[in-house]
Amino acid sequence: MYLWENMPFFLVIGSLIAAFVMAGFARWKKEWCPYLTIISVGFSFILSSILAYRVAGGEIINYYAGGWNPPWGIEMMIDELGAMMLLLMTGSFLLIAIYSIKSIPREIPPSVSGWYYSCFLLTLSAMMGMVATNDFFNLFVMVEVTGIGACGLVAAKGEKLSTEAALRYLILSSIGATFLLFAIGFIYQITGNLNMSYVAAELVQIKDQYPVIIWVTISFITIGLGLKAALFPLHIWLPDAHSSAPSASSAILSGLVVKVYIVSIMRLYFLVFGLDVFTGTYMRYLILIMASLAILMGSFFAFVQVNLKRRLAYSTVAQIGYIFLGFGLGTVWGITAAMLHIIIHAFMKVCLFLSAGAIYYQTGKKKVTQFTGLGYQMPVTMGAFTIASLSMIGIPLFGGFISKYGLALGSLEANNPYFIALIVLSGLLNAAYYLPMIWQAFFVSQPKSQPKAKLKLDAIPFSMLVPIMITAAGVIYMGVFPGGALAFLEKAVSRFLLL
Amino acid sequence: MEIDFSKLLLNYPYFIAMIIFCLGCLCTLTQHNLLKKVIGLNIMQSGIFLFYIAVGNIKGGIAPIYDPTLPEGTLYINPLPSTLILTGIVVGFSVTAFALALIVKLYNYYGTIYAPKIIRMR
Repeated sequence: MYLWENMPFFLVIGSLIAAFVMAGFARWKKEWCPYLTIISVGFSFILSSILAYRVAGGEIINYYAGGWNPPWGIEMMIDELGAMMLLLMTGSFLLIAIYSIKSIPREIPPSVSGWYYSCFLLTLSAMMGMVATNDFFNLFVMVEVTGIGACGLVAAKGEKLSTEAALRYLILSSIGATFLLFAIGFIYQITGNLNMSYVAAELVQIKDQYPVIIWVTISFITIGLGLKAALFPLHIWLPDAHSSAPSASSAILSGLVVKVYIVSIMRLYFLVFGLDVFTGTYMRYLILIMASLAILMGSFFAFVQVNLKRRLAYSTVAQIGYIFLGFGLGTVWGITAAMLHIIIHAFMKVCLFLSAGAIYYQTGKKKVTQFTGLGYQMPVTMGAFTIASLSMIGIPLFGGFISKYGLALGSLEANNPYFIALIVLSGLLNAAYYLPMIWQAFFVSQPKSQPKAKLKLDAIPFSMLVPIMITAAGVIYMGVFPGGALAFLEKAVSRFLLL
Repeated sequence: MEIDFSKLLLNYPYFIAMIIFCLGCLCTLTQHNLLKKVIGLNIMQSGIFLFYIAVGNIKGGIAPIYDPTLPEGTLYINPLPSTLILTGIVVGFSVTAFALALIVKLYNYYGTIYAPKIIRMR
């Protein structure tokens, strides 16, 4: 009963405590850390499944920390989008934790492998806090902790490049958090509240009174969280950080960490400021322009990269553009597609990065030009890679098609059919850099001098193969049966648009 | 839009906070020395701290400790922004510590903390 009532609190604090415990185990029993992490993340996964089940039953969970009612205390609120994100994050972290058992000792020095799991749990805890919180200052603290944890995940590799990328990521993300703190100061000054629901109620009354301050606030929020979510001109830290991190970290950073900032930014735009202010301050048009640029330039930059992980990182920049485009349209289908793309892109990118890690694990290959014959050496991994790539391009029956279809419907709803051309063009660009890799892996024959490759199963551990297969199955599931997720998100969208 | 300069003079702490914030941002983005970048980050945060303290201040207010001997209607300053800033300072401290640790590591690798030199050596 006690656990049932305080579930959101235990969800966040459980991982946080486990992170600190793990720091102790890192010195004492390093080899226990991965298994303890799996237990802790599994506990979070069970809790968030129960929460998602409760939310699916039509209940929005409000939790008052310490029994202090708002506006005095800290409120945690789990709505449909939050429950979906919690389930997605804990599930993906569980898979990545299983993957890490064998992958991490290969990629980072043994002296820090325990600390890696500490950062892992710290990031998970702060991300769950960011999704679940309904309090502005709590949001800021969680944003900073996520930033520090994510930088730790990058820096864990201990190489020259990753250290440099981690420092750049840390400095830029602290600048972003500082802008967010300033925006929170403005909000507190004009509304006198820090609870998001109360601020939203207050802003409806006073938004005509302080047009300049609201304009400054919303632009500071866009800069601050956009810098962390890697919206196009602010994405400069992303390719280095995501490509130089260990593969498991790259999957976390690319698939999940950038998404929680987008969830926060969506909440702030739609639930706190409302669509009127979002459009009235021209921020919606700015987001649309930046998202379109992100889609085009991200794909172009990805096209010219030779390093596989760098190519995937630039692809993330483009996919972030899709999500921003979706909610920038401000229509029912646009927002639905944005939320769906958060989920589907998480599956795709986790699958792709884990496959990239598996390829590196077995063959040591890092460049896309070395893919020849890979389809025979590791058919399962490359099969999953192919599924995720085809989904990225937007082939029907794969997850990516559903969100692109939703975006197209959304742009028709918004009377802006130009974006359909953009989506089609970007799909072609994606095909231009994903298909050659698949072609080379499966259909290009090796030079005559080498012995003919025989088809055999992948030589990577089973614990690395299973997460790759599950995420690939998730991509197909979302493409064939999107109805469940759509029905779940329908209520969230109607609350976002005040329908 | 008209700007009322007398109001600006009256609320000078906000103005100064904004200037400090902008200076810090400029310092972080334009300095090539990595240590100076971190210092810029701290200056930026100081600007915000000043802003928050100014938000909480009430002219003629005293420290927010309840004292029954004081007469009715005594003004107390708003303690909430100050407590928020305590958290903000801790967060800023941890970011600074982490950044400095990374800079020490970079110095071990490259022998310099001057960003263009590091990029050239890569």
